[in-house]
Amino acid sequence: MWAGTTRKADGQRMTNWEAGTTAPTSPTSLTPLPRPAPDPLRGAGSGPWWMDTMDAVIRSCHTHGRPDLAERLTRRRTRLLHPQLRVLVLGGPAQGRSRLINALINAPVCGIVPDSETEVPTVVQHAAAPVAHLVQRDSPAADWTAAVGMRSRIPLTTERLGPSLAEVTASLPPGTPLHADVGVPRTLLANGLVLIDAPALSFSAPGGAVAAAQDLADRAGADLVLYVCETGRPLGDAEVGVLAALGQVFPGLVVVLTKADYAADWRRDLAEARQRLHRAGINAGVTAVSSALRAQAVRAGDDALNRESGFADLIVHLRQMVEAKPDRLARATAAALGRIAVQELAVPLRAELDKQDDDAVPESARHLQVTHQHLDDLRKSTVRWQNRLSDEVTDLMADVEHDLRERVKAIIADADEFFGEADPAKSWDEFEPWLRQSLQELAQTSMSWLSERTEWMARRTADMFPLEAGDVLPPTALAVTGGSSDGAYGLDAPPVAAFTPGQKLFIGLRGSYGGIVMFGLATSLAGMSLINPISIGGGALFGGKSVHDESKTLLKRRQAEARAAVRQYVDDIFAKLNKDSRDSVRRAQRALRDHFMAVTEDLQEAAMESLRNAKAAADRDAAARELRGRTLRAELTRLAELHTQSLALGERNSA
Amino acid sequence: MISEDLEKRTHDLLVKAAHVYREHPRAAARLRQTMDRFAGPLRVAVAGGARSGRSTLVNALVGEDVAPLEPAVFVTYRDGTQPRAWCHPEQGRPYEVPVARSPEGLRLGVDTAVPAAGAPARAVVQWPSRVLRRTELIDTGLPVAAGRVLPEADAVLLLAPRIGEPEWEFLRAGRGMRGPAAVPIHAIMVLTMADTHGDGQPSGLLEARRIARRRRREPSLGALCQDVVAMSPLIGHAARTLRDAEFRALTAIAALPRAEADPFLLSTDRFSAAASLPVVDPRMRQALLRRFGLGGIRLALTLARTGSTTRSGLADKLHEYSGLKDLQTSVAELFTARRSALKARSALIVLDQLFRTELLPPSAQLLAELELLVAGAHDFTELRLLSALRSGRVELPKEVALEAHRLLGGAGTSLGERLALATEATTTEIWTTAVTSTERWRQESTLADRTPAQRRAAAVVLRSCEALQAGLAATRGDL
Repeated sequence: MWAGTTRKADGQRMTNWEAGTTAPTSPTSLTPLPRPAPDPLRGAGSGPWWMDTMDAVIRSCHTHGRPDLAERLTRRRTRLLHPQLRVLVLGGPAQGRSRLINALINAPVCGIVPDSETEVPTVVQHAAAPVAHLVQRDSPAADWTAAVGMRSRIPLTTERLGPSLAEVTASLPPGTPLHADVGVPRTLLANGLVLIDAPALSFSAPGGAVAAAQDLADRAGADLVLYVCETGRPLGDAEVGVLAALGQVFPGLVVVLTKADYAADWRRDLAEARQRLHRAGINAGVTAVSSALRAQAVRAGDDALNRESGFADLIVHLRQMVEAKPDRLARATAAALGRIAVQELAVPLRAELDKQDDDAVPESARHLQVTHQHLDDLRKSTVRWQNRLSDEVTDLMADVEHDLRERVKAIIADADEFFGEADPAKSWDEFEPWLRQSLQELAQTSMSWLSERTEWMARRTADMFPLEAGDVLPPTALAVTGGSSDGAYGLDAPPVAAFTPGQKLFIGLRGSYGGIVMFGLATSLAGMSLINPISIGGGALFGGKSVHDESKTLLKRRQAEARAAVRQYVDDIFAKLNKDSRDSVRRAQRALRDHFMAVTEDLQEAAMESLRNAKAAADRDAAARELRGRTLRAELTRLAELHTQSLALGERNSA
Repeated sequence: MISEDLEKRTHDLLVKAAHVYREHPRAAARLRQTMDRFAGPLRVAVAGGARSGRSTLVNALVGEDVAPLEPAVFVTYRDGTQPRAWCHPEQGRPYEVPVARSPEGLRLGVDTAVPAAGAPARAVVQWPSRVLRRTELIDTGLPVAAGRVLPEADAVLLLAPRIGEPEWEFLRAGRGMRGPAAVPIHAIMVLTMADTHGDGQPSGLLEARRIARRRRREPSLGALCQDVVAMSPLIGHAARTLRDAEFRALTAIAALPRAEADPFLLSTDRFSAAASLPVVDPRMRQALLRRFGLGGIRLALTLARTGSTTRSGLADKLHEYSGLKDLQTSVAELFTARRSALKARSALIVLDQLFRTELLPPSAQLLAELELLVAGAHDFTELRLLSALRSGRVELPKEVALEAHRLLGGAGTSLGERLALATEATTTEIWTTAVTSTERWRQESTLADRTPAQRRAAAVVLRSCEALQAGLAATRGDL
């Protein structure tokens, strides 16, 4: 018969392929394999070795702050210790999931609501008599295997399962997390096999089908996943993604190509699917079955047809998996889970370590450097401001003196000009207040200018401080005090050479004597007497001239005396003012120096303090980093050990 | 009549727009292309995912193997005097490629002309066919993005094994929020793979059609497309091109006692195995499997056993059972007969977009005109009602449903077809019939025992009658 031979040949090929170097190494084979040799490392009394590894991984998850991962692993661990083998039948819409289960157990229990997609998942397990319940879970995330109260277990009529399921589902609010729990008396299920018909995977769902599939498998408590895909179409990219994700955590993953009876060439499809999975590096077995043929075979009791349907191999495989569960499958699962979990844990650690290596200069060290720099700046600025202050003071003194001198000169020039015309004897009272006023003004101007300059000097000096020192100006403008208030004492009039009438008479007589004699002599020749009217006239003329000349000389002398007196006086004032202003400048210099010195000291002290702090922080930080690095490396080493352990589990499994 | 009015007004608007936008090179080019398409044949796109049977459906609709074996994106099929084909590469000028017919299908000589770039971007196949005379078919290839397919076509046949999220997305994308795009008269959903239902037994096809009937009544789906049809392109294609040898082989198998033949019909393996069914050559059986699929063979055998004893009889039955006939009826009634409405819709969508994006002083005025035109486009309303009547979303009493269908133009859009008049009817007869119809439907729209939906439907029919009458009055006035 053709069918027998081709099927056999195909089985042969499958065996060869799976035993090759590229073959998957987990127990996905659909053909019988020799039982593994007893494990020498496994003590008779102690628990299985895989549990130790798994517990270690779970502990690591806790220590690394991943309680979610730990919880998932704990659930899987509990599941692995359970004698039942829960097989999740997963796949896209209308791929024949329900029909596969129905054909396996030869009872219409799944997908019974006519022409609609499976919405309520069905869990099929062994029972002495047909029994069905609808289980209402507390939340969508609740574990299916968890014990539920009686209230949330609604019995269904087994004779008319479909309608009764539809009725009960319709009576519940939409979106209630539900699954049907069906028990059927089948020998296939008797040794603990549980089949779960899952709702269709939606590949366009938000969040992706991968997460949905993993979530479903996790909540359903699956030990093994059968991925169902119809023949006649290639595996889609999204499907391969789902398979890759499932293959990592479910070592026994099998891809079942359904509807093999109807496909034009199911052998080609099978080969293509295998190649595709192999290329994607997915560790999964592939088989092709026909639910229709199986149903027909069971109805007709046709053994050849049953073999042709591909179900015989699938059933053998499932039986083997049930047997292998406490040992081989559990070990492989533990190995895979451990590997994945450890890898997941290692990712953040490695990232942190890399980051630590990457930024060579940490924040604290940078801060230390900045503080150092700051202190240095401060030191430099001390010298600078001192130089600046002394320079400024020298400049200021020179400037003040020069300025005073210029102003005094101007006053003297004014006074000289005044006394070029005026008679001091007459206009002294007018002149004296003017002079005093001018000198007072001079002193005031000079003082205010001095105080301005002093302020400016303070600012200039303050500029020498580094910016970060902030406002270092003295709080109030330094008061420039000088003896200007009593600067211009009164100036008495210089002694005036008086020209009294007696003197005038004497001078006049002395002058007129010459005139009388001269004219008298001349007229005597004419026979006149020496004293005659003419000589008297000449004498009067000569006397008047003498008096006039004398008074002019006296005025000149007075003016010269007044000038000299004014000059002397102004010089005195100048000297006094100059002295005062120098004193003020010196006082200001001293005040500024003291102030800036104090500021500098304060700043330096603060900088020193922050430097000390920064140094301490940097030291602490370096120590902490060192410690963290060591811890990280140690953790990674521990994880690597766990990884090796998990790998070893897997390897011994395949050995 | 109604359609002509819409066509004329759309054309006027296009001309006006062309005048307004003559200075804008981009808009002008777009308008020229729209004008050309408006004047050309109806373009029906056949869209669908991988292996959804696009090219098989094209072959089935044309009735010949016209789809090239080499996959290409966007293959356009149009009528012509002899088979020819052109390639339109992404860059460069289109060039003609030789065409060769082979037993498997059409072979284009692309591989010699195209460098290693793979499939050409676009191909045009010209084929002498009555089907293509006033309708161009476009196989859109992969991937199926509504944004790429919809601007290229006036109407779409969306192919999918079942209505999943991508299909919903496609249909939603086709229905705009406003303007002419808001009337979803352009899409028919085709559920392919109808032959795989129920294990590929002949009853599975009926089951699939039943499901399609149920789906098309769904308001959410009805709001997005005109019809939902279940069919098997493979069987349909085989039915339309049934060969003598195939018929002989099928009758030979059908002549065997069922007990003898049935075990070999259980699976493809059994059917094609060398040792089974000695009455037919194994190679012939392989060929049958390729052409019909197992479901098609089972169906053909059932039909051959139940009375289809001639080749044409069997072909007809297969044609009907495959669902192809349903699809053709739908396409004829909703697309082909209403090509002017569909083309007007495409043109108006382009204009609507143009008036909103390329703003010129007169565009607001033009937009207002367009909105007026769309609001008064009774063709769109008629088509939506026809779809609702077909799907059963609106049910009129049996005695008036047929008349409504006819008056809405479901049996043909000409005056005679709408009023069910003989060609030799006199003007007076036409006038009387039109007036009576108007009166009847005026009553119908006010009947108290009707549901609101029925009254609304009757109002639409009344409007059609009034439009007919108005058209008649105009011609009488001319006379």
